[in-house]
Amino acid sequence: MPARSYTDVSDQQVVVFAQEGREDAYRELIKRYERPVFSLIYRMVRDKETAEDLAQETFIKVLNNIDRYRPEFKFSSWLFKIANNITIDHLRRRQVDTISIEGSPDAITAERARATAVTVTSGGESPLEELESRELGAEIEKAIAKLRPEYRACIILRHVEDYSYDEIAEIVKLPLGTVKTYIHRARQELRQYLGDLR
Amino acid sequence: MIEHDFDEDFVPIAAELQRLPYLSPSPDFADRVIAGIDRLQAPRTVAAVSASRHLELHRGGQQAVTPRRPMGVMQATGRAVAGVTLIAAAAFMFFEIDVLTAMLSAAVTQYAFAIAAVGTQVGALVLGSSAITYLQAGALQAVILYITLAVGLIAGYGAIHTAAQIAKRKAA
Repeated sequence: MPARSYTDVSDQQVVVFAQEGREDAYRELIKRYERPVFSLIYRMVRDKETAEDLAQETFIKVLNNIDRYRPEFKFSSWLFKIANNITIDHLRRRQVDTISIEGSPDAITAERARATAVTVTSGGESPLEELESRELGAEIEKAIAKLRPEYRACIILRHVEDYSYDEIAEIVKLPLGTVKTYIHRARQELRQYLGDLR
Repeated sequence: MIEHDFDEDFVPIAAELQRLPYLSPSPDFADRVIAGIDRLQAPRTVAAVSASRHLELHRGGQQAVTPRRPMGVMQATGRAVAGVTLIAAAAFMFFEIDVLTAMLSAAVTQYAFAIAAVGTQVGALVLGSSAITYLQAGALQAVILYITLAVGLIAGYGAIHTAAQIAKRKAA
């Protein structure tokens, strides 16, 4: 089956192709969401290898059950929902909570720290802007890492992924009021941690 | 861009959150995910088996073709005798070929078939049992063999029947 171009093809349509068993459709869905999903998971677990494993588990679970996808929902919401469930389960099992973007807290050597550090995609800025952005981003990353995992997921979905409160409530399987409370508290804590940034 | 539902002092933080870059997994991430998708692996497995089967056939069919149990000399001879006996009896009953002619033709056929069976065993010793197994496994060869035998038998009995008719006419 020849590979086709999925430019301007909606997620729902790509899913239909995937449901027909087209490998290129599966790859397109992975290509579209590997970075958002990996980023969300990494910002919750703070370890590259663990984040990759959990992201891989997320995609495999979603794509193996692609026939169960209901098109009335956003594919990305379903994907993030599975990612959040898998990550929260992992955190409950292992209580991982670290703050370094430079590598895993478990890294006891420089080599290990390099191996577990993530690749940050450049936004095409100048070197100075990139450095400033990286510094500010690093502060934000550290501040996010100090939040409770439940807060992290909600604040990232709200402010990084631009989801509505209703969508976040659906993704994290929490009541709408709880989601609003979590996001409100997360904002307060971020304000405290990032006082110098304002 | 989401609409503001927070205090003004959170605006710069919200802006920084929106500027957070996406992080990239390893380059082989997609391949590892694809390797874990059952639906995509099943056809690949079939294709791999098919390719392997094709390759193995090129290598002599030792593993790809399900080997048939080699037919023994006695079994082949027994079948030949039974077959020829039945055909000879039918020929005698319906075409009035005398017993001697029928027996002679049966003996010739039997002898030829026995030679073929012995030849198969000798071939197995010379070429190796796997080569003979491969040959025996080929359905096409088997069909050709059976058609050849059938045509040979029919032609042989036709000739014998014609000869017998001519002999009867001469005797009369």
